[in-house]
Amino acid sequence: MTVPSQPTDISERREAAWKELDQLLLAGRLRRGTASEISRGATLYRQVCRDLSRASQQALPPEVITYLDSLVSRAHSAFYADAGVVWRKWATFIFSDFPRAVRRNWTGMALSTALFTVPLVVTLLKSAHSKTFAAQMLPIEMLESMAEAYAGSLSDGRGPDANAAMAGFYVYNNVGIAFRCFASGILFGLGSAFFLVYNGAVTGAVVGYVTGAGSGTNILTFVCGHAPLELTAIVISGAAGLELGQALLDSQGVGRLHSVWQARGAILAQVMGAAVMLLLAAAVEAFWSPSAILAEVKWSMSGVILLSVIGFLCFGGRTRGASR
Amino acid sequence: MATRAATQPLGDGGSIASARATSSSGKLDTTLSIETPERVVFSHQLAGPAVRSAAYLLDLLIRGAFLFLVVVGLSIGSIATGRFSGVEAGLVLVLFFGLEWGYFVLFDLLLAGRSPGKRLLGLRVIHESGRPITASESVLRNLLRAADILPLFYAVGLTTMCFDRTFRRLGDLVAGTVVVREPRLRLRNQKVRVPHADVPGLPPRLRLSREELAALALFERRATRLGHSRAEELAEILAPKLRARYGLGKVRAVDLLLGLLARASRS
Repeated sequence: MTVPSQPTDISERREAAWKELDQLLLAGRLRRGTASEISRGATLYRQVCRDLSRASQQALPPEVITYLDSLVSRAHSAFYADAGVVWRKWATFIFSDFPRAVRRNWTGMALSTALFTVPLVVTLLKSAHSKTFAAQMLPIEMLESMAEAYAGSLSDGRGPDANAAMAGFYVYNNVGIAFRCFASGILFGLGSAFFLVYNGAVTGAVVGYVTGAGSGTNILTFVCGHAPLELTAIVISGAAGLELGQALLDSQGVGRLHSVWQARGAILAQVMGAAVMLLLAAAVEAFWSPSAILAEVKWSMSGVILLSVIGFLCFGGRTRGASR
Repeated sequence: MATRAATQPLGDGGSIASARATSSSGKLDTTLSIETPERVVFSHQLAGPAVRSAAYLLDLLIRGAFLFLVVVGLSIGSIATGRFSGVEAGLVLVLFFGLEWGYFVLFDLLLAGRSPGKRLLGLRVIHESGRPITASESVLRNLLRAADILPLFYAVGLTTMCFDRTFRRLGDLVAGTVVVREPRLRLRNQKVRVPHADVPGLPPRLRLSREELAALALFERRATRLGHSRAEELAEILAPKLRARYGLGKVRAVDLLLGLLARASRS
């Protein structure tokens, strides 16, 4: 063998190329670089891939292989990453994918509506007639403070400071409830069902108790503005959770996880749409509902909001000639 | 678990990454091997429940500290101005909401799958195919925390993790993500070569397996720090097998191993 004794180790010959790719990655030039930088990066990446497959055939220190592993994985991540957040895509997501997903999930919507409204109506009627029924469900101090809060009419309104504080509370509390109601659907839909029944029952008990205390008109005039947005959004997030549970249970011949993955785009559209609706509802509930505006105006506005919600969910995202 | 790898979807929105992932099927190993479209396989070390809990606690601490500072700042402000404004209370509640539901999504997108806690411990969330996670995957895996956290202290999530080969909690299962260890590595070049003699009588093709090559390379590294007799003792573990394979007679074990290594790295 007449091989001259020069460095033949792959790590010595190729180190410069590896460092160059490493530098491009560190500077983020594969994502935001010029055309020539990206092209150079692609060439280097292919070379490093080849080096890695060769390295595993050769006697190299394990740490060189680990190093190449991490270099390839980092470059792979940079080259095959998603395009990032595209805001226009999110607009389509909310304005057309969301109502479409709600319509396609009509069975989930029907079940979710039933799970929410049936307990609501039952507890409302029962606690309007008997104070002890409501007291069995919720702490009496809380019920009494609610009844007291709605005893006076809203003619004097609420201060702007209190409004702002309540807006924060509604965002924190209501959107959180909707998210929990959705996420627990992974427990084969049971979690969503529980949260729907629970929230329906509590809402019914409170409204029923206040009505029984003689302030029914006041509380209904208060909630009429935001209720169409808020309650619909809770029902939608529950329906998304039920769809998640259904995808897990009835996998239609594919693996259970695969079945969930097929449904997740539609599910996410419903949850995000519900969240946007709840943010709108929080603004209405904090600034419009407690205001001193005439009850007639509030009820007319409530009708407008209700019709807009129904119209949006029924017709949003429809294209000419499409069936759904 | 092997069937899971075979039915890997290409991600939503027709992702171009057609990489395939296998969790070294059959073996009780904590690596995830990913085959890229370039037909090269690289592997990730998976992060287990312990290190992930630690990262979560760090994130909790960071969020708590941030909230505390904001509340203290606002309180000082309202004491200084002499009036408490409801706007501040509203802001704190919105911030509370943001920290609970938006913190992880924000950092997943800003730092490519690394919340500050994960970053400190060298962890990263990736899609199972090896590419970084998308916005929708991040939103899903973090929304599902509400289920993983049930009934207390992430009991559901930790239990799911312990039963899954790639340590996924419910959020990971739904979003198709895994958490991997990603230490930042620097190439430490091993210039030190142990002097060796050529071994006469070796065939032109050595036919050494990958594991054998790795063992030889490891031995070379250690040989510089070992005494003569200990090096010989260690080399003698592998040497009889190699002597038999190449039909060699009396060759010192250390010479044999280093000679083979030199030949292998030259080819």
